[in-house]
Amino acid sequence: MAQSSNAANATTEFVFSRTFDASREDVWNAFTQPEHLKHWWGTPGSSIEIAHHELKPGGLFHYRMKFPDGRVLWARFIFREIVAPERLVWLNGFSDEHGGLTRNPWVPSLPLETLNTVTLAEQDGKTLLTITVAPFHASDEQAGVFAGGINGMKMGFGASFKALADYLARD
Amino acid sequence: MHDQLSSTFAALADPTRRAILARLALGETSVTELAKPFEMSMPAVSKHLKVLERAGLIARGREAQWRPCRLDAAPLQEAASWIEEYRRFWEASLDRLEDYLRKMKPAKTKAPSAKRSKTKSKE
Repeated sequence: MAQSSNAANATTEFVFSRTFDASREDVWNAFTQPEHLKHWWGTPGSSIEIAHHELKPGGLFHYRMKFPDGRVLWARFIFREIVAPERLVWLNGFSDEHGGLTRNPWVPSLPLETLNTVTLAEQDGKTLLTITVAPFHASDEQAGVFAGGINGMKMGFGASFKALADYLARD
Repeated sequence: MHDQLSSTFAALADPTRRAILARLALGETSVTELAKPFEMSMPAVSKHLKVLERAGLIARGREAQWRPCRLDAAPLQEAASWIEEYRRFWEASLDRLEDYLRKMKPAKTKAPSAKRSKTKSKE
C-alpha cells in the first residue's frame, strides 16, 4: 500500500482510498479527460469550467470553480507522471486566472502546491483508487502547517486528553 | 480565524512543543516542572511557551510566582476540523465520481444482455 512513500514522509501524507464498481479504464478516463472531469471534479457546491487541459508530463489543467453565491476560484494541475490506466501524478494548487499560483484561500499558510498521486488497482472487476497528497517544495513553516493538519486528523475528534497525551508523546 | 489555524499548525510542527503539550495534557504544571525533561535553558522553554500561548494552545495562570500552564484543547479541535474539511472534500468528490461513473458509458461495451434496461441501483 505504501509502495511509493518513504518512511520519512509517511506521517505527513494525506492518504485516502475508495473502491469503485467500474473498470479501471473508466475511472482513469473520468479522472483524466476534460469532458468527464467537468461533470464531477471541483470543490463540492461548485461547478467547473475548464480553461485548459493538456494531459502530458508538464501539461497544465487550468479550471475555474463557480459557487452558487457567485464567487469564483481558479485552480490548476501540472501533470508530472501519466501511466494509463494506473497512475497519475500532478502538482495541485490554487491559481489566478492566468495560471499563476496563489495561496490556499482558507488556510493561507498551507504549501502553495501539493504533490498528488492517484493509483488505480484492479480488484475483482472493481477498481481501488488511492490518493496520496504530500506538501511540495514547502517552507519549513508551510510543511509544519500541513503536518499539523495531518496530525490533527490522526488525533481524531473528541480524543480524550489521555489519547492526546499518548499521541503527542510519540514523535 | 484561519490565520489562527495557521499559527496552531505552526506551533504543533515543533517536537519540543508537542512534548510540552503532551505533558500538559496530564494536568497543569509550572514552567520549572515543564523544563525538567528537556535539556534546555529556562528562556528557551519560555520561548516555546510563548509560541504555544500565542497559538492559543495553552493558558497561563496569573499567580505571581507559580504561573501554572494549562492546555487549551479548543484550537486542536479546530485544527482537526480543518483537515476534516479536507477529508470531506475528497469524500464528496469521490461520491460525485461514483455517481458519474454509474451514468458514464463504459469504455468497453460489455456483451449486450437481453434485459438492457437502465440499472438504477440507488439504495
